[in-house]
Amino acid sequence: MSADPVWQRCLDRLQDELPSQQFNTWIRPLQAESCDRGLTLHAPNRFIRDFVSDKFAGRIGELLRELQGHAGLEVNLEVGSARGRVRTEPVVARSAAAGKSEFPPAVSGMAVSGQAVDRQPVEPQQRTLRAVPPPSVARLRNEGEGGHDQHNLVDHYTFENFVEGKSNQLALAAARQVSENPGDAYNPLFLYGGVGLGKTHLMHAVGNALREQNPNAKVVYLHSERFVADMVKALQLNAINEFKRYYRSVDALLIDDIQFFAKKDRSQEEFFHTFNALLEGGQQMILTCDRYPKEIDGLEERLKSRFGWGLTVAVEPPELETRVAILMNKASQASVHLPPEAAFFIAQRVRSNVRELEGALKRVIASAHFTGKQIDIELIKESLKDLLALQDKQVSLDNIQRTVAEYYKIKVADLMSRRRSRSVARPRQMAMAMAKELTNHSLPEIGDSFGGRDHTTVLHACRKIKELRETNADIREDYKNLLRSLTT
Amino acid sequence: MAAVDQDQLALGVQLRDDATWGNFLPLPGQAAVLAAIRAQLGESGEPVLFLHGGADAGKSHLLQAACLDADGQGLYLPLRELAAHRPEELLQGLESMPLLCLDDLQAVAGQRDWELALFHLFNRCRESGARWLASGRQPPRELALTLPDLESRLGWGPVFALAAPDDQRRQAILQHRARCRGLDMPQEVARYLVTHTSRALDRLLDLLDALDRRSLQAQRGLTIPFVRQILQEPELD
Repeated sequence: MSADPVWQRCLDRLQDELPSQQFNTWIRPLQAESCDRGLTLHAPNRFIRDFVSDKFAGRIGELLRELQGHAGLEVNLEVGSARGRVRTEPVVARSAAAGKSEFPPAVSGMAVSGQAVDRQPVEPQQRTLRAVPPPSVARLRNEGEGGHDQHNLVDHYTFENFVEGKSNQLALAAARQVSENPGDAYNPLFLYGGVGLGKTHLMHAVGNALREQNPNAKVVYLHSERFVADMVKALQLNAINEFKRYYRSVDALLIDDIQFFAKKDRSQEEFFHTFNALLEGGQQMILTCDRYPKEIDGLEERLKSRFGWGLTVAVEPPELETRVAILMNKASQASVHLPPEAAFFIAQRVRSNVRELEGALKRVIASAHFTGKQIDIELIKESLKDLLALQDKQVSLDNIQRTVAEYYKIKVADLMSRRRSRSVARPRQMAMAMAKELTNHSLPEIGDSFGGRDHTTVLHACRKIKELRETNADIREDYKNLLRSLTT
Repeated sequence: MAAVDQDQLALGVQLRDDATWGNFLPLPGQAAVLAAIRAQLGESGEPVLFLHGGADAGKSHLLQAACLDADGQGLYLPLRELAAHRPEELLQGLESMPLLCLDDLQAVAGQRDWELALFHLFNRCRESGARWLASGRQPPRELALTLPDLESRLGWGPVFALAAPDDQRRQAILQHRARCRGLDMPQEVARYLVTHTSRALDRLLDLLDALDRRSLQAQRGLTIPFVRQILQEPELD
């Protein structure tokens, strides 16, 4: 909300003059702040500042001068937030690269400043916002001001509300072990698996447990992209030593989605040294990734091998029972009554990952809240009808057979045939495993649909594929790809 | 910058008709989605909402209304129009905005740099508490995104389908929007417009704008003969 009445009137005028789309994109996000000789407008980033400077600044200047009633009014356009404190410390001023506008002030009649702004709020932000964590350099500087609270851990990601199932048992046990003996044998703990399966939850759970045992523990969670961005910023600010000191001073470093380090050589180099320093110092590291370390393209070999020095654990997609338990757990966290048969109904149909499961449940809860109805299968069918229609369309036995045959470039008829050569038998086993995972058909029904085979053949196929997924990267990849193309 | 039209200034009575809550005419069953959007910036609001539907389903209208309602805390990003820009620069630092309204996700689906930049922005927003109100022609899993990480995040919250209005509903929308401008549009005129011009709502609303202007200038109400006469004017094409 703008504190400046002149700006508010200017906004009203601009809203009248501009199409609402342009107004909402470029003008609405500007925040005004009175300064000595006029008004400073803060844009959320350089791009918006430059665009406004180019396209709208002239008119804004005109309007403000007209509304204010004196021609000498100065209007500055800056990157930052009026909610934040403008940092004028030398560390920022040193940056040659920090946001200079390409538009000379004279063009628009408006001064454009490239001053970097730290968006740490000086007062609590409105509604439910928390502060955007500043980069490591700022964190280091803040430490003297009681900056221990820069961990970025999400409070409600704890072991208590993590739902255990076969698919994540091992990862959970390892994470608990790490929380009890940080920096010990499982260092680093490397969790890998598809999207939305709970890797981040487990990582935060360890972090939260460590902080519970020792509230002064310096536990830092961040996404790999932030590590990269921090490093780039530190390089720009000539503060790489502060960057190094910061990351090497933590008790536990949790980095999410390290696959995004791929092809970023300088970040890998920096991370490699950080990694070694932490390992030597007995500080715990937890890393997550969407795949097994060896399979990350564009990552240095020495990093890949180091990732395997501790413990590498997969997190698999949750099976039906776990999905039901997750739904029940989420519903109870939201204080919503979810009958078991309703949870079962959703879990049977939404299979890909926990995020999607959560999204579906939220959609159902929104309908229930709004209509004042109890959650039952009818309400679920109504609120998820698009999702369910899509699922029904895709996951039939026919569809699985067609998709698998196409994937392996064989004929559907081969899947039904008696042929037992590897080139046919393996795809057939894969198709059977998919049918078991993705449909509600019984083993005999699945066997029947594959040229009248016995249910024990299906069972064997499922076991075989499960075993191969653990030992054979190709099969693991095939399984993932097929699951994805059948469920998305 | 578009200065205010002099004709309008002279008359001074044409009312604005921007996308707001007030001029959105919900279809039956859309009340739940409206409630979820309006509650999004509140304490128990969802961190992420996704709306999907075809043309004319009202996605852009709702996103813009939400942005306007956020009282300076919202930013509207029409991705169809911004797709040609460099996403890292455009999206940098936007997590400082409490509400981001990202329209037409399908316009950047399949573009790796956009998907990555959006994914990173999403993660930064999770940390900052900034909320996402996103839209696309299809639900997240059908958007043909190349980054599963982004797809799963877009579907983390409730995903609402918005149906496109049928012809009768289009007539009602036209009448409603006319009323919001202080203009009376009889039912037969609305029916005439939908059946004789275009079914596309943006085209119909442009027409409404022209009709509003001409009706003010001519000081005449909207009748079929008057509308027919205006439609024949060459500058309306």
